[in-house]
Parts: sequence; structure tokens; C-alpha cells
Amino acid sequence: MRANPGITVRVQQTPDDATHRHQLYVQWLNARVGTPDVLQLDVIWTAELAAAGWILPLDRFAPAIDDFFPATMDASRWRGELYALPWFVDVGMLYWRTDILPAPPSRIDTIDQTFVWQGARYEGLVTVFLEFLGAFGGEILTADGTVTVNSPAGVRALSVMREQIRAGIAPREVLTWHEEECRFAFQNGRAVLMRNWPYAAAAMSGPDSAVAGKFSIAPMPAAPGGRPTAALGGAPLAINAWSRHPDQAFRLIAFLTAPEQMLERAAVVGQYPSRMSLYDDPRLGQALVADTATIRRIIEAASPRPVTPLYAELSEQLQVALHRALAGQSDPRRALDDAAARMQRLIDESGLRQRHEGGMRGP
Amino acid sequence: MKTDSRTAWLFVLPALMSIALVALFPLGWTFWESLHRHDLRMPWLGRPFIGAANYAAIALDGRFWSAMGHTAFFTVVTVALELFLGLVLALAMNRTFRGRGALRAAILVPWAIPTVVAALVWRFLFDSQSGPITPLLIVAGVTAEALVWFTHPALAWVPVIVADIWKTTPFVALLLLAGLQNIPEELHQAAEVDGAGPFSRLIHITLPLLRPAILVALIFRTLDAFRVFDLIYVLTGGGPGTATEPIALYTFNTLFQNLRSGYASALSVVVFLVTFAMAVVYIRLLDRKEPA
Repeated sequence: MRANPGITVRVQQTPDDATHRHQLYVQWLNARVGTPDVLQLDVIWTAELAAAGWILPLDRFAPAIDDFFPATMDASRWRGELYALPWFVDVGMLYWRTDILPAPPSRIDTIDQTFVWQGARYEGLVTVFLEFLGAFGGEILTADGTVTVNSPAGVRALSVMREQIRAGIAPREVLTWHEEECRFAFQNGRAVLMRNWPYAAAAMSGPDSAVAGKFSIAPMPAAPGGRPTAALGGAPLAINAWSRHPDQAFRLIAFLTAPEQMLERAAVVGQYPSRMSLYDDPRLGQALVADTATIRRIIEAASPRPVTPLYAELSEQLQVALHRALAGQSDPRRALDDAAARMQRLIDESGLRQRHEGGMRGP
Repeated sequence: MKTDSRTAWLFVLPALMSIALVALFPLGWTFWESLHRHDLRMPWLGRPFIGAANYAAIALDGRFWSAMGHTAFFTVVTVALELFLGLVLALAMNRTFRGRGALRAAILVPWAIPTVVAALVWRFLFDSQSGPITPLLIVAGVTAEALVWFTHPALAWVPVIVADIWKTTPFVALLLLAGLQNIPEELHQAAEVDGAGPFSRLIHITLPLLRPAILVALIFRTLDAFRVFDLIYVLTGGGPGTATEPIALYTFNTLFQNLRSGYASALSVVVFLVTFAMAVVYIRLLDRKEPA
């Protein structure tokens, strides 16, 4: 490393699929393996690994954190302590065709143009649902760990998603689609609207794209009673608790989260920096070929998914319920009531609510 | 006499010990684990002994019961169809004709293809955007609009069942063919002399004498179908929702996705007990003397 002579960084490849990478991390950390020293996480793992004692608190390194988006910092804390620094930000947003529509839709519940979103049974579906839910003013969990996903707002949000499929606004195939299938459909002109992450913008601006220069991004629209909501994603960097080189590991994290590095990542892979000040830097606008003020507005409206060590299990229950309702196996209210009961039981059995008041936080 | 039996025990001891090591030890360990609350996601809870609480939770677990229902449905439908089609194929292959050897070899190809590969191929064939099956059905007038197989709770079973039948019917056919070849030709000739037609000979000679082969095929197929995993994992992932989730996939997800070691062990023990009971029933049937 040129900026830090004396430190050699070895990159270790891990599976691309987040579920498999998570599985691998749990196996390593459970077996107290000290490498890799620095782990690239998904935002939803930080609380889980911190609660297990598998990643180190970073407060003792006294990092400067004022420049990072507050929502990304919320997702990096567990019980008041800082466990990770955000490397880049992912955020859910609406892509719309500027050659077909005069403006992006202002309400999520009255969309009548072909709208594709991630509807397969996986984590992506939960992020989409979170955005519909926030649009109606609902939330998955309250701050004290009460599951409220089956509130009237939740049932309305899921019913609107189901109605979009029933009416053919969202093609029925979305129930098997992840990010890339949505992008193909949008890129080939099959859809007017798409919910996706930032990467799609770079991928659809190439010469082989039928929509290059014909689309723009906007915040996901709201419905009466709610607010525009974006799911927050991204990759925090954390230090393996069994690492034998924690100081060097932190220097690597500090290097990777420096402004210059973030600008480079934006230019090379189109990832959004987690530092607010960079959005005023003209170099970022050039790197992303996008309006950085809009992006900043979307990120600032983003809410983290529930920050709890149980997130993955809660999410799995929710994925099953959402998919059952969308596929017509169950009606939205019953599916959400059932999921809420299972999720609440998991939380109550975990002992998290008793151990610390306010140990769980919802969006 | 006594020394003889002791010597005999000494001889089988190594075999018994290896069985204990590779079969009974993991089974016992799984059972012991199933009596604990052990969740790798919640290391702060430790691994407390909770007796039969996991089993009580299973009894009330709706997803478990629907997974058992899916498994039973899949087993009955596929085994029945495979047995029927396998018998037809075996009877056809049992006749003498040119190229019989080549046909027998060719029919084994689906069986030889790894299940995961076969499942990927079938997923492509049924794909709503690029697969050829949907356009074929539209041309044939079976359906007017494109079917999105994998998003309908009921339709999603079609690719699963078709792929399984395609893959395992050859196996059943070969088992039955071996049985057919053990039936002496003289019996058929004698029956023919007595005036029995082909159908009557099938019912009164072929099927009764084929009984052991049919039972063996049934044992293999039922136990395999009950533990179905890879085919559904690749084709539907158990979805949409949980509409095609079999018990093996639910157990797998509980352990490897949710890391609930204790509960998943209890599920495994239940699956083991069910398959064990089925094996015992079949072995009893197989041991029973032929009806006179």
C-alpha cells in the first residue's frame, strides 16, 4: 500500500451471492478464524455480527464520522457503539423513461404504466416492500421491538403491490425477478418504470442499451399518509474480532473510506460515496454522469432496515409471507398477521428485549 | 456351539463398529442436538437443554405441515406415474427387436445426468421469456396467454413433476426389465396354449411374478422422492411463497439459511423417523411369501 508502506493487503475472493457470503462469514467467525482481517459486510449484518462479538468496536480508533450520511452511521452502530464504516451506499430508487413520461409519478398507489420491481423470494423483495410500506407511513418494527408490519399501512402497501401484479402493471414474472431481470426488461423497453439500485444507471448507459439517455432517476413515490422512502443498502467495512492485526486493519478501512478512494470507486464501478461532502464536488458529477443533488436527496430520505441481530431471520419470515401473498397463496392481511406472529415470537425468544431496553431500532 | 457364536460375533464386530461410527453416531448426535435450543445467530443464548420443546414447536409449525403435505403429494404423484410409465417402457424393451441394446443404453441417459444440471435445463425450457415450452403450448392451442409457470402455486408443480418423471422413469424401467427377464418364457407359452390372451397373461402371470421387482422399485423411488431436494432447490426454490417447498428443503433452509441448529436437528430426526417407518413397511412386504 503506497499510502501506508509496510502494510501488504491480500484480497480474498468471496461468493458474490450475499446469502452465501454471509454463510461463509458465520462459519469462519464461529470457528474463530482470524482472516480476513477486514470484512466487507452487507448493511443488514452489522448488528448481527456485533451482537455475536465477531467484529470489533471501532470507537477506540476515534474515526472522524461527521461526513458520513447519518442513516449509514445508524446502520453501523449496535447498542451505541460503532462497529463499521460505510464504504459505499446503495439506495433504492425509481428509474423512469424521460421520452415517455413528462415527469416521474407522484403517487405509488396510482401508477398505471408498466412498473417492474424485484419480486422474487429473497432479500430484494423486502427492500421493495419497505419502500411501499414507508410510502404508506408504516414500519416493520417499532423502536422497542414490537412488530408492526401487519398494521393497516402494511396491509395496504402489500395490497397495492399485489394489485399491480393482478392488473398487469407489474408483469407476473416479477415474482421470479431479481435486479438484473428488471434491468433487462427496462433496458429492452418492456417497462416505463423500474425500482432498482444505483448500479443500473451505469449499466444502462452503454452503447448496447436501448434506453441510454432516455431515462432518469427519482425518489420512490409516496402515497397519502406516508413519505417517499428508500431502502438503504451498501457495504460497511468492519474488523474481524479474531484478527491479529486490528490496527493495520483499521488503517486499511481508513484508507478505503477516504474521499479520493470513494471518487475512484464512483468513476470505476458507479458506486455512491457515503461521504456527504463529495456530493458538492464537481468531480463526483463527472464520475457518476448523474445529478448529484437528486442522488443526495434520495440518500438523505433513505431509512435503514431494522437494525437487529435477528434481521436475517425476521427478513426470511417476511419474504415467505410477502411472496405467498403476491403469488396468491394467501391474502395480504393473513400473510402479514402470520409473519408478524412468527417474527414477534423470534424477538421475544431471543431475549433481546429483556436484556436492553431500546436495543432494537426500526426504520 | 458357544465358541462358534462368539467367534461369529468377533467376525462381525468390525462391521458393526463401522456402522455405529458412520450411521448411529451422527444420528445420536443429531438427536441430542435436537433437544437443545441452539441458534448460531444468537450466541448469547448459549445452548440450553430444552427437552422436547423443539418437537412441540414442530407440531404447531404450519410451514412444517405444509412441507410434509407437499412432500407426500410429490411422492405419490411422481412414484405412481413413474411406475406406470416405467412398466410400459420395460414391457416394450423386453420384446426382441433390432437396436434393442442401443435403446436400452439411450434410455439411461436422463438418469445419468446430474440432477442439478437436469433441473437447470428444465428451468430454461419452462422459462416464460426464453423457454420453448410456452410458445409450443400456445401454438398447440392449449393456452392463449403466456404461462408464467414458476409464479403460480399450482402450475409451479408441473415443471417439478415433469422433470422428475423424465429423470427417474428410466431407472424404474430398468429395474422392472430385470424382473421381466426372470419370468420363464414357458409360462407364457403354456398360458397361450390354454387360451389366455395378452392382457390376461399380463394380469395373471407378468404382474404377480414381477411383484418383487415392483416392490424394490417402489422402495427406492418412494424414499428418494420423500427426500427430494436438489431438483426443487434449483427449479423453484420451494416457491412461489412456499407452494412447492418439500420437507428436505425446509430443513436445509432452517439449518443453513437461518442457522437454527437445534430446530433443524429436530426436523431431521422427524424426517428420519418417517423414512425409517416407510422402509420397515416395505421390507415387511418384500419378506412376505408370495401368495400361493
